[in-house]
Order: sequence, then structure tokens, then C-alpha cells
Amino acid sequence: MTDHPSPRRTARNSGYLLCIDCEKLHRISQEGQHCDRCGARLHSRIPNSMNLSWASLLAGILLFLPANLLPIMTFKSFGQGEPSTILGGILHLLEQDMLMIGLVVLIASIVVPVLKIIALTILLCTVQFRLQTNLRQKTMMFRVVEWIGRWSMLDIFVIGILVALVQLGNIAHIEGNSGATAFAIVVLLTMFSAIAFDTRLIWDNGMPEADLPPENTDQKDER
Amino acid sequence: MVNIAMHGTPEHLTACHECDLLIEQVANQPGEDVICPRCHARLYYTTPNSIERLLALSVAGLILFIPANIFPILSLRVFGQSQSEIILQSAMSLYEGGLALVALLILLFAVVVPLFQLIALFYISSTLHYRWEGRLLRQAMLSYQHLRGWGMLEIFLLGVLISIIKLKDIADLDIGLGLYSLGALIVVITLSSIFFNPHQIWHEIDLHRKQRYADD
Ligand SMILES: [Zn+2]
Ligand SMILES: [Zn+2]
Repeated sequence: MTDHPSPRRTARNSGYLLCIDCEKLHRISQEGQHCDRCGARLHSRIPNSMNLSWASLLAGILLFLPANLLPIMTFKSFGQGEPSTILGGILHLLEQDMLMIGLVVLIASIVVPVLKIIALTILLCTVQFRLQTNLRQKTMMFRVVEWIGRWSMLDIFVIGILVALVQLGNIAHIEGNSGATAFAIVVLLTMFSAIAFDTRLIWDNGMPEADLPPENTDQKDER
Repeated sequence: MVNIAMHGTPEHLTACHECDLLIEQVANQPGEDVICPRCHARLYYTTPNSIERLLALSVAGLILFIPANIFPILSLRVFGQSQSEIILQSAMSLYEGGLALVALLILLFAVVVPLFQLIALFYISSTLHYRWEGRLLRQAMLSYQHLRGWGMLEIFLLGVLISIIKLKDIADLDIGLGLYSLGALIVVITLSSIFFNPHQIWHEIDLHRKQRYADD
């Protein structure tokens, strides 16, 4: 047992595992048992992380098309009105000179999900093909993607609010359509994909020398 | 120097939760973050009076939750007809319109999860502050941690603002007491998630348990 861990040693290759729920360090022999502090099951890496993360992401990509092609809601006034898609709703806002909220909805409903899907694909490929470049930037990208992904639910909330509020019978009423369900599932699936992804896998394959202080820098000197 | 704890794990060691780097724990000053040298994740930090702040915020949140959910957030008037809505109605109308899954998600993300998180937070902070028995401390902590990110009241509020702008040319809108309460509730929830320091609270739970064993 070493007294001072070297900067290249991970919990796993030193015979430890970290409880992901309460961050208590355990012996690696306790894999599969329950943490004595928080009661969660102990795993050195999230089990099946890659399979679950890939499956959710691919399902999300498949549903992304219907989510954007199917109408999400219909506004009817005196019997007139047509169903609109996400993109249609954004174009309508831009036409009416509501540039700011048009942009907000565009970012939340289209830009964020697309970027999130791209980012998760890059991360999963990094682990799958053992890529070893820009690991720190990729970890940072994951943190950003995990945080902004939930904002894609914005349009779903807008539909809910409008449908509840605009119920004036024949004068005006708004109803939700099946595209909203498809879109909500896309957001859910990408959130599941990010939860299943274990960032430690990014670092397992590669340990870039340049990112680390030289081996002989003893930590004792720093403190 | 090596301090072997009960399960044979040296107490001065920890690991980065994002890259698994083995790290020697150092004492940090309040306000000073300890950062992983490899992936730059924030490993641990000190939040002064964390438990007391969380207790105050969770009580405030639970109180604000009531007006935010019983008073209308918006009312709409067209040709003498009017319609007002509370948060729950967004889910109910969608359910009646046949979009059951979307309705369920709105119910969960805008009502159930925020309420459950406030209750868990109140339970954790009051148990630790008043040194109550706290049989459900672990479960409350795990549920709060796993639900982080699934409470979406701030996104709901942005949705309300967008709806206001979308409807303002078509109809007269009145902002209700529910919307102001919702705004205040979001401030309280955001502050509580800033003061929620998992590393520190788990440590307090360890101390809490040791103290209770010592009392028996
Ligand atoms: Zn644990
Ligand atoms: Zn790290």
C-alpha cells in the first residue's frame, strides 16, 4: 500500500473503488456489495454503461425525425387552423418579428438536442474506439451537455401551458399532437443516455503524458 | 501516518468521481475548492452553515410550494370569456387531450419531483440539525441526489414567459399570484441546490451515526 498516490494511479488499478453515490472509497473486492455508508450497490464502473448509453442514444436519434416531422400542436380559431411542427412554430414566431423568443425556442428545441446527440456520439466513440485525445475537453463537454440537455423540455412545457390556457371553445382553442410525445421521448432518451454514461471510461483507455505532471514530482514537496 | 479505517481503506485517500484518479485528501480552507489535477472536476469543498441554510430554504420552499400550486399563474380574457390556469392544469389538459405520457412528464418534472426534493431536503437538514433519529437518512440522500436535474420548474417558468409573449397579441393576459410564488420558489430551490454539498452532508451523516451509536 502506498502512502502517497502517484498522479497516474487510479482507484481501480490501486485496488479501490469509489462509491458513486456517497464518494466513499472501498476495497475493489467489495464490487457488487452494498456501500456501508449509503447502502447503494458498489461498482468500479457503471455496469453495462456503454450498451445502455448507446441504446438510449440510438433510439433517441431514430425518434428525432418523427419528433420534428409530426405536428406538436394545433391552434384553432372559429374552426380554422392547421397543426404545426416544432420548426413551423419557430418560423411562425420569426415571421411575426418575435425574433428573441423564436431564437430561444430554436436553441432549446433544435440546437440543444442536436448538439447533445453529437456530443454523446463523440464521447461514446471515444470510449468505443479507445481514442486518447482531448480527454479533458471531452469531460468538460459532457458536463455542459448534461446540464443543458434538460432545457429541451421547454417546448413541451409551452404546449402544456397553451393547451390549458387557450380553451375557449369555438372562439379559440389549442390542442396537443403526437409529435409532442415523440419529442418528449427524445429528450428523455438523451437524458438516460447521459446518466448511463460513465465518464471514468473516457480516462481508462488513455492517460496522456502531456496532461500529467512528471512522475518524479513527489506530492510531498507540493504541500 | 497511514490511517487504516474499518474496511482497510486508508482514510487519507479518495478518488475522483469523474476520472477515477486516486487522490490524497488534503484539508481545504472554507471557500477553497479541491480540483482533480487530471480532469479538473470539483472534488470537494466547504459550504459554511450548509445544514442550517438548507433547513431554512426547505421550509421556505415547502411554504411557497402551496401558493405556487393553488393560485392561477396566468389568466386569459377574450371576448368576455376568461380562462385561468394553475400548474397542475397543464398536465390535466394534455391528459384529457390524449397525450398521457407528456402529461405525466409535466406532472413529474414540474410538481412531483420539486415537492419530493423539498421534503427530502427538509428531512435531511432537520434530522442532522436537531440530531433526530433519522432512519431514512440514506434513502432521503440517495433520492435527492438521483432526482437532481429532474426538477424543471425554472424551465416551466421560461415556458410561461414564452406563452405570455405568444398570446399577448391575441388576448388580454393577467399574471396571477401563482406566477410570483413560482418565481420565489425557483429562487429558493436554486439556492438550496447551490448550498447542497453532498460530500460534506455524507460526512455529517457519518458523524451523526457515530454519535447515535455512542449514545446507546
Ligand atoms: Zn456509498
Ligand atoms: Zn478527475
